Amino acid sequence: MRLAIPLLLIVALLVPSGARGDNRVVAATLDNGLRVLLLEDPRSPIVSFQVWYRVGSRNELRGASGIAHFLEHLMFKGTPSHGAKQFARLVEENGGQDNAFTSQDVTSYYVNIAAEKLDLVIDLEADRMQNLLLDPKEIASEREVVIEERRTRTEDDPGGFLGEEVSSLAFKAHPYGAPIIGWMEDIKRITPDEIRAFYKTYYVPTNAIVVAVGAFRAADALEKIKRRFGRIPRGKVPPPVLAVEPPQNGERRVAVTKQAELPIVYLAWHVPNQKSDDAPALEVLSTILAGGRASRLYRDLVYQRQLALEAGGDYSYFSIDPNLFWFWATPMPGQTSEKLETELSAHMERLKTEPVTDEELARAKNQIEAALVYQDDSIHQRASLLARFELIGGFALKESFMAKIRAVTSADLTRVARAWFAPDKKSVGVLLPKS
Amino acid sequence: MTTRSSLALLVALASLLVSRPTAAAPLAHREVLPNGIVLLVAERPAVPIVAVRVLMRTGAVYDPPDRAGLANLTGAVLTRGTAKRTGPELDSAIEFVGGSLQAGAGRDSLTVSLTAQKKDLTLGLDLASEVVLSPAFPEVEVSRKVAEIQAAIRRSEEDPGTVAARALNRLVFQGHPYASPVEGTRDSVARLTRDDVVKFYREHARPDTTVIAVVGAVTVDEARREIMARFGSWARPTDALPSVAPATAPASKHEETVKRELTQTTIMFGRQAVLQTDPDYFPLSVASYVLGGGSASSLYTRVREESGLAYSVYSWVSPWRFGSSFAVSAQTRTAEAPKVVAMIREELARMGREPVVDRELALAKQYLIGSFPLRLDTSGKVADFLVAIEDRGLGLDYADRYKERIAKVTAADVQRVAAQYFPPATFNLVIVGETK
Repeated sequence: MRLAIPLLLIVALLVPSGARGDNRVVAATLDNGLRVLLLEDPRSPIVSFQVWYRVGSRNELRGASGIAHFLEHLMFKGTPSHGAKQFARLVEENGGQDNAFTSQDVTSYYVNIAAEKLDLVIDLEADRMQNLLLDPKEIASEREVVIEERRTRTEDDPGGFLGEEVSSLAFKAHPYGAPIIGWMEDIKRITPDEIRAFYKTYYVPTNAIVVAVGAFRAADALEKIKRRFGRIPRGKVPPPVLAVEPPQNGERRVAVTKQAELPIVYLAWHVPNQKSDDAPALEVLSTILAGGRASRLYRDLVYQRQLALEAGGDYSYFSIDPNLFWFWATPMPGQTSEKLETELSAHMERLKTEPVTDEELARAKNQIEAALVYQDDSIHQRASLLARFELIGGFALKESFMAKIRAVTSADLTRVARAWFAPDKKSVGVLLPKS
Repeated sequence: MTTRSSLALLVALASLLVSRPTAAAPLAHREVLPNGIVLLVAERPAVPIVAVRVLMRTGAVYDPPDRAGLANLTGAVLTRGTAKRTGPELDSAIEFVGGSLQAGAGRDSLTVSLTAQKKDLTLGLDLASEVVLSPAFPEVEVSRKVAEIQAAIRRSEEDPGTVAARALNRLVFQGHPYASPVEGTRDSVARLTRDDVVKFYREHARPDTTVIAVVGAVTVDEARREIMARFGSWARPTDALPSVAPATAPASKHEETVKRELTQTTIMFGRQAVLQTDPDYFPLSVASYVLGGGSASSLYTRVREESGLAYSVYSWVSPWRFGSSFAVSAQTRTAEAPKVVAMIREELARMGREPVVDRELALAKQYLIGSFPLRLDTSGKVADFLVAIEDRGLGLDYADRYKERIAKVTAADVQRVAAQYFPPATFNLVIVGETK
């Protein structure tokens, strides 16, 4: 995940809380280590089939940033039995939609398609898990595409450009400091041999999760998956990420100037992830600050005082390693980035001294719970959310998630605000429009 | 999150209105209430949520010529206060139950959207009906939104895609209300007053041009009862419906360059096309998909896969109520922009000159027909689809007709519409980026 994703979308990444009790996840681990999660959902004659690899930009070495994302592009470039372009073509010919994304922690592929086409998708995904061609000519051409993608997302996008600066400022040791898409120099440099080695290391059954939700019989689907994926050699367990970000000693600050109409301010603090007992409180905190039009940042900065065109915050509950709690604001014309930085900080300081109201706390919990229920409506979301929980320790964690959220008290919020948001531990980024 | 392509989403959006489900059961129950409201109900009992859309034929196409952005402003202020509640009270009430209540205008319509859990449907419908039937349009809220919209317009100048689309639209629909941006301009919005908003809403919001879709964990009887209880006494006015002239193609086409300090150049071609009610709409949809609709399309293959010149390149048809456009867009490094412009022109021309290969034709048709259920896989998407087909007058059976018509499209049909609508000389062209 990268920043600037609205909070409700983040909340939306959580799994349904079992609101539909008739559904049972069928979970299995094949002999080669492949994890399989299946959920029958017969409402529409469709299936969402997803393969999640436990590899993202956090697994990259310095000098090879962007290699996980580059490989994601190349996964559509063919195997000996399905030549270049055949994957997407076959999916489209069968009325399906497919795509993929790379985050800091994972690389995920999905196909949403008529349920009767499940065999085809299983065949295609199993094939490219093991037999990717990685033709140097295709790599050379796709490198240019990735460079164009970086230009669109980063070089020519003020928000993307500033976010990358702040991430790299906040992380000195951990690879979360490098952009998912990679530094331009690295994208240009990475060799086919390095990509091949990266593929061999991380695209192995023991490092992957297959998730499917849709109109199938789980027992049948499991058999098919076993038959096709089961014959892929287990592979070695990939090397762990050893880097640990040291404590931040003092505020860090970056200012960039770029052609833009309005400034942008980012504030980022290091916070713990879901392994910490503080995680549910941080999730609630981010909802109180930035979840909807009744949230504090919107109501105060955007609505009541009209200091900001946009203001928000974001916490990554599912992050595999401890990550950042982001705040951002775009000042209204006539307002300054300094003013917005002061105001964002003031909101955080207020949380340390003044308990949130009962209404705010209840509203945030209700919003998080409702978002879980809404997710149940989409088979694609249901599958993604199962995978998210599986990645952090097991799909069954979704069952206890809401209880943890419900248990958060006003005192917890004060405590985590004091524990994690010290003024001298933040990274600040400001984008100033070139005049 | 970084993805291989945002194409799938664009394709899904572009074709939202034009495909059909494979399910044999009717998509929804339809009835006309005594005051003229069209009520559409689709029962989806499995998940305890309800999505409601109230569509009013009140869009930017009805903006007075000197009041561009009026419908958009009206939509934005609609949820900012009613006879009973202030804007913040509405926000707090719906968000306390984790629901969402939004309003906004597009070119042809103004839509109020509600999503709530089934247990909160009464509250949600109370709020939605207050917003539709007794909006207060407080002066202070109008002023706030004017400032916010002006700032948002200014900020959108940073986005080359938005800048290009806005300029292209002005050229393609020259002389028609569609030429104005829905949000207006910073100057036009500055002129808008509360009186404008009140008058506009009074004249255009009326039951006989309103469509309500209720989709989710609700029965037809329940939906009818709840909607009648709140909207049944909304009186139908006696005055005639406002009319809008259909868009006609401008006499001339233009090329326009907008200078920006960027590493990429955004290229956008566009011209008018046909309405969904025109028989050519179906072969044109197929032709657009073959040209630039998916990752097997000729533009994607040539510009992205073979040449590595772009991350994003696609074409699409945008059918509106009173006019339609066809556009092709790409973003490439500035030095290569002339090459990409030439490639797009060549591919456009080639489709009119040569028949489409059988396999490409089959792929496009199978995708357009077969992917439909994926676009109706949530209550929100079904509700959006229902109000849209009703608004365009396409009828609930449009989905079936669409499938039949797409299935009948031949290579000769594709070549004929390409020869008619794709000649490169008939397109306007906008370039955003560094210029020499």
